Amino acid sequence: MSSSEKSPAHLREASPTPSVAKGRKKKPAAAQQSLSLQLSQESMRQPVQATPVSRLWLCIYLPHLPLQVLEDEAVPAPCAVFEEQQGIRKVWLANRAAAASGIGPGLSANAALALLPELSLMERDPAREERVLQELAGWAERFTSFVSIEQPAVLLLELAGSLRLFGGLANLRQKIAAGLEAQGFTAAMAIAPTPLASVWLAKTGRRACIRDMANLTGAVSGLPVHCLGWPESVYEALHGMGISSVGECLRLPRQGFARRFGAGKLLQLDRALGRLPDPRQSFRLPERFSADCELAEEQSDRDLILHVCRELLLKLERFLLTRQLVVQRIRFGFFHLQAPATHLTLGCVQLDGTVEHWFELLKIRFEQLVLAAPVIAVRLCGGQSQPFTAETKALCFQKSDRQRQTTPMTHLVERLSARIGNESVHGVMTAAEHRPQYAWYPHHPLGSQSSGEAPQCSATPDSHYEREAPQLLADLRRSNRLLLRRPLWMLSEPQPLAVEQGRPVYQGFLKLLDGPERLETGWWDDNGIARDYFVADNPGGVYLWIFQNRNADSGWYLHGIFG
Amino acid sequence: MDEVLEKLLQNPRVWRGSSPGQGGQGLASGYPKLDCHLPGGGWPPHALTEILLEYYGMGELKLLMPALARLSQSEDGATEAGWITWVAPPFEPYPPALLQWGINLSRVLIVRPKEATEALWAAEQALCSGNCAAVLLWSAALNDAASRRLQLAAEKGRSWAVAFRSLKALSQTSAAALRIQVSAGERGTDLGILKSRGGRPAVVRDYAG
Repeated sequence: MSSSEKSPAHLREASPTPSVAKGRKKKPAAAQQSLSLQLSQESMRQPVQATPVSRLWLCIYLPHLPLQVLEDEAVPAPCAVFEEQQGIRKVWLANRAAAASGIGPGLSANAALALLPELSLMERDPAREERVLQELAGWAERFTSFVSIEQPAVLLLELAGSLRLFGGLANLRQKIAAGLEAQGFTAAMAIAPTPLASVWLAKTGRRACIRDMANLTGAVSGLPVHCLGWPESVYEALHGMGISSVGECLRLPRQGFARRFGAGKLLQLDRALGRLPDPRQSFRLPERFSADCELAEEQSDRDLILHVCRELLLKLERFLLTRQLVVQRIRFGFFHLQAPATHLTLGCVQLDGTVEHWFELLKIRFEQLVLAAPVIAVRLCGGQSQPFTAETKALCFQKSDRQRQTTPMTHLVERLSARIGNESVHGVMTAAEHRPQYAWYPHHPLGSQSSGEAPQCSATPDSHYEREAPQLLADLRRSNRLLLRRPLWMLSEPQPLAVEQGRPVYQGFLKLLDGPERLETGWWDDNGIARDYFVADNPGGVYLWIFQNRNADSGWYLHGIFG
Repeated sequence: MDEVLEKLLQNPRVWRGSSPGQGGQGLASGYPKLDCHLPGGGWPPHALTEILLEYYGMGELKLLMPALARLSQSEDGATEAGWITWVAPPFEPYPPALLQWGINLSRVLIVRPKEATEALWAAEQALCSGNCAAVLLWSAALNDAASRRLQLAAEKGRSWAVAFRSLKALSQTSAAALRIQVSAGERGTDLGILKSRGGRPAVVRDYAG
């Protein structure tokens, strides 16, 4: 007997003698009674082990989802969604205007057009429905920690844990209904202690709200069998047996029911009544943000495209906010019909990516972006996300006069580097190196942002002394002002100086004032130097830092200006 | 007669040259010879200063260094040290030398735009942001309109703007609060104060001496 093999243990417990069940095909009255007695005994026994924690499930059923994802506005024009079944286009769902002309599910597309020539027919887009449903699930996560997407067009929310926070079931239900309406969804909602019961109640369009397990059986019993989502053949068979409601189904002997319609159906009934646990998979938002916006037609109006990008950024912000995450990098993709997509990556140092900040960066970069062709769709992808850490700020009642900091410095740096280029905006650091050109390096301007005071680097020889013996250095400076003098301006490459009468010339003969300071180092790499540096001035009163090479060419070079 | 004069002086349209400027306390330049000629005893804060010079390296950086060093260090624990932004410098500002002058290198930002107009944009952004204590700008594209913008941005962001210009700009008008010409004198670098809001033109010989 195949059905008993499939059925779980408790079913076999419920039918101690399989042979009895086998011999009873035409439902003898006595046997039925004995079995329903067993059923009632079982139902008294089972709730204890099935649902130890009371739960409350809200089902949001969106019957018009296929239409709503395709329709942009609630236009009164008749339209219908069709689906191709075995090569025949059949109407899946029609809006009210179309239904008024007699167009309903199951009608072939041609027949529908014959009935109503101005009908606009659209093909169903299950992928898009799923996307919308996921977005909606993400939205619903604000009400509960447990949202589950079931079948097409059904969302399940577990509400028992959220009642206190939202001030009772009525309030919460109202909030959810208002939110759905604001987003333009027509939804049927029902509340029941088990997920399946709430789905069935919602599908029949009953605004039921059952909080107690005790009332559940009664409410479910009244439902027509058609709401159960079973195949058509099952309904026909049930109809043939004179059964039209769930309650009548429940009165059937379990064994026979399982054998006729499959153990799965019996399990469903048990789960709906809370006799068996009914675990659901919790919906989790994807780790990375990705959203598309398709335009109705190709657009080259940059303002409009920017507006679309802003909408996407708002979505990103909502996404990140619900997950308490931040991203440092986002990527826009602009898709064209005739050309490969154009991509634009934006980065942000500060971990507080507000829409305004991203949008400002985008505007700067977008100005410079060349779009190869008109844009048909825009995609926004968020990069690796990190947990959000909020900063505590002082509560400031008085506007201090000295208050200069309005936006963080990072915003300025990002704006500048967005327009001018990353490598063109930098801070500086000193390095421990005697060769003048290697004694500093550019670095990211916000690298050592945290330290407010002077950097603690053992950079130049004198900063080393400065730590060791500041007094000594001050004395030395006073006694000899030209000690290790370094020019404020440095030339990126030493500039050869002309030599006349054995003296270097730069806008006139140079007079050597101080030196030489011999730097002979760097023999370990290819950029070793052997130079005598001098401080010199020219007739124009400009102080220069020049050097003479000590190797073969012994030429004079200008390396810096004291400024 | 005195009554008539008093009445005339009460008129808000009459401005007397000797009255102190509205800028209040200036940023001490670190050179007493120069400070005594500037209204408020120093560089005009939150305003544009123009420095005109024939060629770079005549001592124009040395002139600013003491004031910049003070701005880049946090004066007390409460206030954050200000940033010093260099927009389109003609050469490399040499960090070891900046350190010697007491500049806090962690507060130095160098911006090298590719075009002169971008330099103006960058300077204006830096001034407006309110993060920069001082913005130094080298731009050949600076004109009267741009100087007005920079002046306004400096006021808005409460920042000190310094623009370096060639001597060709002498004949042009400018909205700067202070215009100083740097020239080589006989004994040192001379400064000519061409325009000073709330002050008078003057010549400072060998300012560092």
